[in-house]
Amino acid sequence: MFIYTVKRFALAGLILIVAVTAMFLMIRAVPGDPVSIMLGPRATPELKASLIAQMALDQPIWKQLLIYYGGLLRGDLGIDVFSGRSVVEIVFQQLPYTLEMITLSVLWSAALGIALGAYAAAHPNTMIDRIAAAVSVSFVAAPAFVVALLALLIFAVQLQWFPAIGAGEGFWGRLNHLVLPSFAIGLSWVGYIARLVRASMLEVLGEGHIRTARAFGLSERRIIMSYALRIAILPVVTVIGVGMGFLLSSAVFTEIVFARPGIGKLVIDSITTRNYPVVMGTVLVSTGLFVLSTAIADLLNALLDPRARSAK
Amino acid sequence: MSKPRSELSIILRGVAKDPLGLIGLIIVGTIVVSAIFAAWIVPYDPIGMNIPDRMQGPSWSHWLGTDNLGRDTLSRVIMGGQVALKVALPAVFGAMAIGLTLGMIAGYGPKWLDNLLMLFFDTLRSFPTVMFALAVVALVGPSLQTVVLVVMATSIPTYGRVARTQTLTLRNSEFILAERAMGASMARILGVHMLPNIIGVLGVLAAMDVPTVIALEAGLSFLGLGVKPPTPSWGALLKDGYALIRQTPWLVVGGGLPIILATLGFTFLGESLRDVVDPKLRKNR
Repeated sequence: MFIYTVKRFALAGLILIVAVTAMFLMIRAVPGDPVSIMLGPRATPELKASLIAQMALDQPIWKQLLIYYGGLLRGDLGIDVFSGRSVVEIVFQQLPYTLEMITLSVLWSAALGIALGAYAAAHPNTMIDRIAAAVSVSFVAAPAFVVALLALLIFAVQLQWFPAIGAGEGFWGRLNHLVLPSFAIGLSWVGYIARLVRASMLEVLGEGHIRTARAFGLSERRIIMSYALRIAILPVVTVIGVGMGFLLSSAVFTEIVFARPGIGKLVIDSITTRNYPVVMGTVLVSTGLFVLSTAIADLLNALLDPRARSAK
Repeated sequence: MSKPRSELSIILRGVAKDPLGLIGLIIVGTIVVSAIFAAWIVPYDPIGMNIPDRMQGPSWSHWLGTDNLGRDTLSRVIMGGQVALKVALPAVFGAMAIGLTLGMIAGYGPKWLDNLLMLFFDTLRSFPTVMFALAVVALVGPSLQTVVLVVMATSIPTYGRVARTQTLTLRNSEFILAERAMGASMARILGVHMLPNIIGVLGVLAAMDVPTVIALEAGLSFLGLGVKPPTPSWGALLKDGYALIRQTPWLVVGGGLPIILATLGFTFLGESLRDVVDPKLRKNR
């Protein structure tokens, strides 16, 4: 397990290095001079010169890359072109809003999805199973930002049950503002997780130790609750970890729709103002988050299911 | 696999027998047909402004109302389907072709190449899709081609990994070993013997991938970073509807429902295809 952990994190590190390098080269490969793009047409020559020196643009490309990595290691993602604040500070100020929204979405959708899936697997091919299957597929079919828009239209604009804008103040205010966004992000996950749990549950129920438990006369309820479900929810862990990228993507749209603060809104605002250091910093942080969560999901999976360790 | 035509008709018949598959087939068929003939069936000019008729609710003359420039929503929805497919189909097929080739090479080639390609896949996959798309669009500017390229790049790893796994399980099967013993080249083994066994699974994956791509295109257009106005796109409809959500809420419905329907249709079709293509899974149901 120790060797697997080291290997997995080494891989994560390698992926990050390749990804950062690729992104760095991509920015430099863009036609046009980055300084004029960043500062716009009205920039004075002095401003340009100071930015060139600050970003080390007058050095050869490999040296620029080294300087960039040096900055990264010191936790320096550059400086906001407009406010002059450090990009790291700006990104980490917005990150909690996004994370609280994602966490709540995952929690409610996983709880409901696991319950639905387990119930459907315990009663296969009944009417309820069919209905659950149809509902799950329909939920999966709804992209988060479309759900967000429709939820905004129905529950915030028409019915006015929930607030339409912002993140709220105080615990209850924040929670109230989180209802619609996390509903929008979580909805497609309910169906997805339900289907996953149903499939893996059916597989587990066909295995030897379950047959043995049945032969011993344990009740079906007991078998499912204490033997099958524990194994059947394993894929959910992996899927949520791997789905982090997907969650972050949904978060971007949801934050725009509900005008919530967060890294999604940050990145869109920075794109419209051509604030490239902030755009790149945000993309980098979210990529790091995604790589890390995938690695953790793999490790958890290996911890819970020893077979996964050798399969790699 | 010797007679591809009869194979295809067996698959289609199998899909049509499954109620969900049939629904999927009908939805996808409707979208494709209306997209192909969009120019002839739209009741109004989808980009023609008509200021006196602006912001009208749904009525007999405008089934889905009009927007703030008096453009007919239904016409824009129909035309938007064309844009959605114009992005989705090249992106999905391109990603499938590249992913398939790289994945088979990774699965069949030497170990170091496999490792290298896997690292390539893992890296591409490590960017959250929308964040990656936003970064690229921010750098090279929004356009239909940018969206296609971004979507293609982000979905290559999925196809690549599946193709690799399939190749790995096939590479030591008897018929492949026999081919190798007879001295068949790598290209021949992969192209003639492996491909027919892998393509079905990837086809299913592609059908399920189309809605993801449609949603991404719509999402980028919603953010104003996809297709440029006045091109009608489902995402652009949502954008206009969102901007005036209190005055013209029917735009949100008109842009949102086709996306949900398209997703539903392609997902049903993909699932039903999987059950037909992969008999092992069919038994489980």
